[in-house]
Amino acid sequence: MNQETLVKVDQLTLSFEDDPKKLVLDDINFELLAKENLLILGPSGCGKSTLTHCLNGLYPRELDGELAGEVFIKSKNIHEFIHGEVSHSVGVVFQDPETQFCMYTVEDEIAFGLENKGILPSEMENIIDHVLELVNMRAYKNRIITTLSGGQKQKLAIACILAMEPDVLVLDEPTANLDPVATSEFIETIQHLQQQKDFSLIVIEHQLDGWVSLIDRCMMLNNQGQIFYNGNLRDGINVHRHTLEQQGIWIPMPAKLALEIENQADYRFDTLPLTVDDLAAHQVPIPVRPTRIKKSNTSLALKAEKLSWAKKSTTIIDEIDLELYEGEFITILGANGSGKSSLSKLIAGIEKPTKGSVYLYEKGLNEWKERDLRMKIGYVFQNPEHQFITDAVYDEVAFSLRVRGLNEEEVRARVSVILAQCQLTGFEESHPYTLSQGQKRRLSVATMIIDDQSLLILDEPTFGQDANSTNQLLSLLKERNDAGTTIVMITHNMEIVQQYADRVIVMDGGEMVLDTSPNELWQKSREQLKRWQLDIPIQIKLEQRKQKDVSYVYS
Amino acid sequence: MSIHNLNPSIKAITIILCVLLLTMVFDPITPLVFILWIFFVTIFVAKVRIKKFLLFLSPFLIFAVGMFWTNVAFANEPINPTDVVSLFGRNIPREDIQTALSLSLRILTFASLSLLFLLTTNIVHFILSLMQQCKLPPKLAYGILAGYRFLPMIKDELVLIKSAHRVRGVNRAKTLKEKVRQYKRFIIPLLASAIRKAERTAVAMESKGFTGSRDRTFYRQFKVTPKDWLFLIMMLSVLVTLITIAWQVGYFRWYNGEI
Amino acid sequence: MNNWRLKEVIVMAALSVVFGVVYLAFLPVGGVLVGFMGPIGYEPIFGIWFIVSIITAYIIRKPGAAFVSETIAATIEVMLGNGLGPIIILVGMIQGIGAEAVFAATKWKKYTLGVLMLAGMGSAVTRFIWGMFQGGYIAYAPSYILAMFVIRLISGALIAGWLGKVISDALAKTGVLSSFALGKIYKQRKKAA
Repeated sequence: MNQETLVKVDQLTLSFEDDPKKLVLDDINFELLAKENLLILGPSGCGKSTLTHCLNGLYPRELDGELAGEVFIKSKNIHEFIHGEVSHSVGVVFQDPETQFCMYTVEDEIAFGLENKGILPSEMENIIDHVLELVNMRAYKNRIITTLSGGQKQKLAIACILAMEPDVLVLDEPTANLDPVATSEFIETIQHLQQQKDFSLIVIEHQLDGWVSLIDRCMMLNNQGQIFYNGNLRDGINVHRHTLEQQGIWIPMPAKLALEIENQADYRFDTLPLTVDDLAAHQVPIPVRPTRIKKSNTSLALKAEKLSWAKKSTTIIDEIDLELYEGEFITILGANGSGKSSLSKLIAGIEKPTKGSVYLYEKGLNEWKERDLRMKIGYVFQNPEHQFITDAVYDEVAFSLRVRGLNEEEVRARVSVILAQCQLTGFEESHPYTLSQGQKRRLSVATMIIDDQSLLILDEPTFGQDANSTNQLLSLLKERNDAGTTIVMITHNMEIVQQYADRVIVMDGGEMVLDTSPNELWQKSREQLKRWQLDIPIQIKLEQRKQKDVSYVYS
Repeated sequence: MSIHNLNPSIKAITIILCVLLLTMVFDPITPLVFILWIFFVTIFVAKVRIKKFLLFLSPFLIFAVGMFWTNVAFANEPINPTDVVSLFGRNIPREDIQTALSLSLRILTFASLSLLFLLTTNIVHFILSLMQQCKLPPKLAYGILAGYRFLPMIKDELVLIKSAHRVRGVNRAKTLKEKVRQYKRFIIPLLASAIRKAERTAVAMESKGFTGSRDRTFYRQFKVTPKDWLFLIMMLSVLVTLITIAWQVGYFRWYNGEI
Repeated sequence: MNNWRLKEVIVMAALSVVFGVVYLAFLPVGGVLVGFMGPIGYEPIFGIWFIVSIITAYIIRKPGAAFVSETIAATIEVMLGNGLGPIIILVGMIQGIGAEAVFAATKWKKYTLGVLMLAGMGSAVTRFIWGMFQGGYIAYAPSYILAMFVIRLISGALIAGWLGKVISDALAKTGVLSSFALGKIYKQRKKAA
């Protein structure tokens, strides 16, 4: 059992020059053995990416700040490596699929790393074919990178790194920008690779569903850049469950459900279950979450008739009829490219349909004046920054009120109410771009509810957000919804659907294939759901499993 | 000879040398004949489809016509005001016509030369060749390639930003001042996101071992072969021959002689 | 290029790409103005085509920033379809040299509004000399040429110099420049305040 130590980090402490007193990493010590898979868990802003930069040789060379302590890669101090040499031992896959590449085609991108390493051109072709084979992308060798999907780009990123044959693969939140289907595909790829190649893995994540079975050891970081746990994942989550929740780290859904069970029923888990199987093994009642009942007797808010939209003769939306009622909480589901965003933009009047029409309160959208329409329908884009138009949070929220000509006193009163609702009080003077991801998201919602819009449409608002900001956002939306606002939300997150939606719309190939309640959606066959790239929430999975067990016993 | 497979750097140098030579010529006939030669090379040697070539050239045809017209209208005092030509029912000094004609033909020559280059050259290969043949530093070469990759993203983002601002109730700009302010509102998020992307790309490139040093191998190797020189000599000799004929016949005019 | 960080190079390239698009987008605007006013129509907005030099030099503050960024922007413009082709790259270099010369005169140390405006005017001067030689301005009446030159100088100072500074400062406020020279100055200023 004498495994080689690949990485050794010794008393690593780091701060940036603009705030030398705040330690981004504080006395970090750990080792990584050959063939070991280490998970580093931590909230956003805990210095995880900084740590990555210390491991791949970017720091201290590119660091504007102070670094103390030592990093050893295969027993060699990182200071002794010549520029670029660390990359032969440590490879990194980063979070953003769009910005990991500098070349135009797939083969050129893989070749780029090989060229840096000084591999002979005559050997490159073979290596390129081999690594593309490994990630199952051989057919894409000549493709232009921009035409790949996000999931394919991340797999290409792995291929590029594998080509350089590193001993350690660092994955820095590699699935944060992927939808659930691409995420599980990515994790499967990694699993498959580990059977074929010898490398150690460092996975940096704040969301760990899917990774559980792959992980040998877990290290937990807090906001102050300190390690507060280093050991077995199961024990770590068990002991630190509350700290993790406080820090906004996603704990596995089954564990979360188990915590709810502990709260509701008089039951205590010795170790928290991390997978559905774990949880199903316990004979405990599943807590009944209040399912929402479709509201009836409310009046029609928006109606779409035979809505179609084509772009360059490709049909994107195909003859959709839709009615939205006041106070509904609707989620739009479907695979990437199924037409979710397009449908939402059509009903919001952002895009004009090629055929058909949309009526808001029985008046055609084209008859509404732009300004009046925007006071009725709010639309929250996926990237909040796209919607910001001023230099300060306060001005951002006040903008539309000022356009309407309200006096400053009235403006101030309304803005402070909304800022409080969105938990942004105290940030009035901040530049919107300097806020955290969660604050940016809430600010973009704030600008869309300031006029008391009665219909609010959101395009994947919880995407890439940590657990805390997701919860804050959802409770804000629920508050608005209870007060009567109709909410239409595009999402991939089935837990949200199950907990908040009273109606689901499923899109597939530009058509609306389902318009029903969440509970009826879960009754669909597994194959059907898979075709739409939908999963079912953990709680339903458990219920279904229990029912199967019961029927098995009695049959 | 396939123009597509020529070394991109030599091709560019050829085009630039032709352009520089042409800037010294100031008679209408030399560029006109040379344009015909470029058409011939583009369509019959490089086998660019006529339709495609004309489509790309059409804006410059319009531009050249406009150039001709403004030059006639805003010409300097002619030396020989009595020597006139009748055009559209007006008498215009022959000198002005000549000047205008050579300037607009010059635009067309430049345009067709650069189309010959653009329609037969892969831009990525051009940059790689500049690095391998013309000592462009790798840091800059790969930097430009990385930046060039942002183009489609930037285009998509601009569309998104525009609609996102519309939803905010930003009024359509009417006055010049509003327009300037609106441009600023668009450009800041666009630049901010481009800068963030650039920074992340730089980190990703360095973690793949890129140092900017010249000491690297190349997957795609570009070499200069005799046929590249042949192309350069051919294009230049045609132009020089044209100029010589013009000189002999006597219609040639130096650009500098013109005031 | 050796004392440049890779991220500075790529940020410069990214800025050049954005402005390469802007440059191309403003060609038809110029075309319309020319339609109304004749060749002088380009002059009021001529400064737009110098702006990336000013922005990049002001943000990164290293020798070569003004010259190289303008050259790349011109190259991008050509790739996207400015039919004047490779000659535009040469024009880009000439414009870049004008601005770079002004920054060089301060030993790349001073980046005040005055210097930035002078740099914009520097581009205007070198570009005008090229235009005299190559674009056929020389065929116009002398008073007309003088008017063109004066308007171009003003445009270079205002649109390239002043507007370039305004845009860069607005960008610095977003915090995305924090690891570049201009962003660092902003952080220090904020800390001092």
